[in-house]
Amino acid sequence: MKNARIWFKKQDECIYISHLDLNRCMLRALHKSSLPIWHTEGFNPHPFATFALPLSLGFAGENESMDIRLLDDDYPFEKIITDLNACLPKGIRAFKVTEPVMKPGDIAYADFKMLLSCDSVSNDMLLNICNELFNMDEILIDKKGKKGVKQVDLKPSLVKYTLERQIGGVELNITLPAGSTNNVNPNLILNALKKYYDLIVDADTTRLNIYNENFEEFK
Amino acid sequence: MINKDVKKLLLKVQKPGRYVGGELNAVVKNKEDVDIRFAFCFPDTYEVGMSHLGMKILYSLFNSKDYIWCERVFAPWLDMEQLMIENNIPLYALESGDPITNFDFIGFTLQYELSFTNVLNMLKLANIPILSKDRKNLNQIVVAGGPCACNPEPIADFIDIFFIGEGEEVDLEVIDLYRKCKNENKTKAEFLRLASQIEGVYVPSLYDVTYNDDLTVKAYTPKENAPAVIHKRLMMDMDDCYYPDNFVVPMVEIVHDRAVEEIFRGCIRGCRFCQAGYLYRPVREKSSETIDLQCHKLCTNTGYDEVSLSSLSSSDYSQIVHLLDKLNKWSKDEKVSISLPSLRVDGFTDDIMNKIKTVRKSGLTFAPEAGSQRLRDVINKNVMEDELLETCSVAFNGGWTNVKLYFMIGLPTETMDDVAAIAQLGQNVVNEYYKCPNRPKGKSVNVTVSTSSFVPKPFTPFQWFGQNTIEELHNKQKHLKESITTKKITYNYHDADTSYLEAVFARGDRKLCKAMEKACEKGFHFDGWGDCFSLEKWLEVFKECNIDPDFYARRQRDFDEVLPWDHLDYGVTKEHLIRECQKAYKNTPTPHCRLKCSNCGAAKYKGGVCFEKRKNLV
Repeated sequence: MKNARIWFKKQDECIYISHLDLNRCMLRALHKSSLPIWHTEGFNPHPFATFALPLSLGFAGENESMDIRLLDDDYPFEKIITDLNACLPKGIRAFKVTEPVMKPGDIAYADFKMLLSCDSVSNDMLLNICNELFNMDEILIDKKGKKGVKQVDLKPSLVKYTLERQIGGVELNITLPAGSTNNVNPNLILNALKKYYDLIVDADTTRLNIYNENFEEFK
Repeated sequence: MINKDVKKLLLKVQKPGRYVGGELNAVVKNKEDVDIRFAFCFPDTYEVGMSHLGMKILYSLFNSKDYIWCERVFAPWLDMEQLMIENNIPLYALESGDPITNFDFIGFTLQYELSFTNVLNMLKLANIPILSKDRKNLNQIVVAGGPCACNPEPIADFIDIFFIGEGEEVDLEVIDLYRKCKNENKTKAEFLRLASQIEGVYVPSLYDVTYNDDLTVKAYTPKENAPAVIHKRLMMDMDDCYYPDNFVVPMVEIVHDRAVEEIFRGCIRGCRFCQAGYLYRPVREKSSETIDLQCHKLCTNTGYDEVSLSSLSSSDYSQIVHLLDKLNKWSKDEKVSISLPSLRVDGFTDDIMNKIKTVRKSGLTFAPEAGSQRLRDVINKNVMEDELLETCSVAFNGGWTNVKLYFMIGLPTETMDDVAAIAQLGQNVVNEYYKCPNRPKGKSVNVTVSTSSFVPKPFTPFQWFGQNTIEELHNKQKHLKESITTKKITYNYHDADTSYLEAVFARGDRKLCKAMEKACEKGFHFDGWGDCFSLEKWLEVFKECNIDPDFYARRQRDFDEVLPWDHLDYGVTKEHLIRECQKAYKNTPTPHCRLKCSNCGAAKYKGGVCFEKRKNLV
C-alpha cells in the first residue's frame, strides 16, 4: 500500500460547491474510475480520501490536494490523473500526483489572489480605501467560530500583501495564516471594508498555494 | 456555463451549486448546430427535480438527437428568485446559461398539483407570457406531461400542448412536427392543429367547454377536427424502450442521490386510492437481462455506489429473487448496493432481505395505508395484519430496529375506530419486536407512523368522493395522537391544508385557470413548501374569482356527472371505476391482475400483464 497525494484545481462552476459536496464528488469519481485504492472497512465501506485544507465555498483553488492510499504500489501516477479526470466534472482537474512529504497538520499559511470590485466607488477609490484599511493600527472584526462569535484583530495577519489597480478592480495578493490552529479567511477583509467604510465589495478569490510555517510550499 | 450577471449573485444565495450546471455528464452542444432548443423545466428546486427519473429519461432521449438541445431548468429558491428579479435576470437554462425566453419549447413535468403555481411563476420569471393565447408566434411552445396531465384543466389556459401518457415517442413526434412547421413557415395555430392529430396530444385551446347551471361540466366540444377523445400513449416493449445509460451527476446533494433503474411500469394491485396504479396500466416488465445490463452500465458511467430498483411496487417484479441474484454477481465486487423502494408488506421475504443488505443497510418502510382490515378492504390494499407482523418480525430478526409505517386518514367510509386502529397496529408492531428472539440485543425499537390526508384523484374509483373537511382531518389526527400510548411510536402527519388545496386542483376544471392567473399575479410559488404555502391567501384568491373551492374538493359527485377529464382515455374504463367504487363501499376487495383479470379495459393495449400466463391457469 502506498500513499498518494493528488493535486487538483477547483475552478469555474465547481467553485460553488461546498467542501462536503467536493468530498462526495471525489468519492464518486474515485468509485467510477475503478482506481485500485483502499476502502475504509467500517459499516459503510467507501474509498478513503482526505483533504489537506478545505476550501471555502466560492473560492477557486490552484493547488488543492487530496490524499488516497493505493493498493497497487506500481500503479503509474500519470494514469491516476487521466483516470480521475475522465470521471470528474470539468471544473475539477487533477494535474499532478506525488508521494506526500508533509502532513496536513504542517500547513501554516496560504496565498490568495482576490480581485476586488465595488459598484458604489471607482477602482482608484477602492484602492485608496484598501490601503487605508490595511494601514490602520487595529482592524477589529467579528469572526464566527465553533464557540460563537468573537472579535479578532486582523491587523497582525496582514503582513505579506500587495495591492494593485487592475482592469476590472483592485487585485490583492496576500498571504494569510491557514491551517487547523490559526486560520484567517480572506473574506474577513470584505467584512472589514463593510464595517469601516460601509462598502459592499465583491471578490473573485483564488487560493494559489499553501505553505508550512517556514514558508516552504506544501508538498 | 455561468452568465456573468448570474455570477455576481451566486455568493449571496444558499447552495449556489444549484444554479451553475457544469455537472458530470451534462450535455453541452453548440447552439448553432441545433434546430430545436428545448427547456426541460421541473417546477420545483434543483434537489427535487434532479431526483426525478422521467426528466433523466427524456433529457437523454432528446439530446440523443443531434438537432435537439435539451437543457434543464429548475425553479430558483426564494433567495435566488428575489435577486434574479432585482437584477433583471430572466430564468435561464443550466447548460448554456441562456435565458429560456425564446426557446422553441418550454416543457414542464407535472408531478404534483401544488407545483402548478411554480409552472406559471417560472414562465413569468422567463419573461414568457403566461397565457397560451398571448404567445402568438411559432416559438415558446409551452408543453406539459406527467401524471397531473391526466386532469390538465386547471392550467389549460396556459399550456399549448399536454402529452397524455408516456412521453418517449409522442414528445419526439411533436418536436419533429414543429421542426417541419418551422421550415415551412407555418403559424402556431396551424402547428397546434396538426399536433392535435397525433395520438396522445391534447391541445386544450381546441376544445370548447360548456357548463350546466349547477356549474358542473356539460360538454367538451372539439374544434378544427381535434379528436373527441384523447388516448394516452404508452410503451409496450420495455426491453426495447429507450433508457439512458448515463445520468447527469449532481455536485450538490439532491433528494435521491443514486442511480435509478426502472424495472417495470404499472402496478398489478389496483389500490383504489392510487392514481398511478390506474394511469400506468397495464403492468409491463423489463426482462431481468435488460435490467442487469442497464444497472451495471449506469453505475459504471455515473460512479454511483447505490442503485435503486424503481417501480410502483418493486417486490411485485415477477422474478425479483432471480433478478437480485443476477445483480449481486457484480454489485458486491464493485461495492454497489441495491435498494428496493416501494416494498410491499407481503413482498419482504427472508430471501429478498438477505440480498439487499449485502453491502449496505437501508431503512425499512411499509405502507399499510389503513389501520383496520375493513378499511384496507375498502381501499383494496390487500395486506393482512399478520403479514405485516410477520414481515416486521423477519426484519427485526435480521437486525433492523427502525420501521416506518405510512397511512392515510380521511379515506371513504373511515370511522374514528379505523383511525384508532392505526395506533393499535403500530403497537402490535412494537410488541412483535419484543417477541423476536433474534432482535438486536440491548436496542429499543422505533416505529414511525406517518399519516397523510387522503386526496381523491381522477381516474381512480374514488374520483367521485367528497374529501373530508380540514376540521374532520384535524380531529382524526388528534384522535390518533391520543390513541398512541407508547414512546416507541413516533407520529408524524402531513398538513391537512395542503391536502385540501391539492384536492381542489386535482379535480378542478377550466374555471380554476382564473384563480391560477390571479395567484401568479400575486406572486404565489412553492405551494408544496411550508415556507410559502398559505391556504388563507388561496381562499382570498378563490373569493376574488368567485370560486367556491369546496365545489371541487368537498363535493360528492354522481356517477353520471361529466367529469373535466372524461375526454381523456387512460385505458381504464369508467364502468370499471364505477364497479370498483361500488365494491369499495361494500368492503369487497378485488384480486390483483396476476390472480384474476377484473376487466379494467387496459387489455386493449394487447400486452403486458394482461397477456401473461397466470400461474393458477397453467
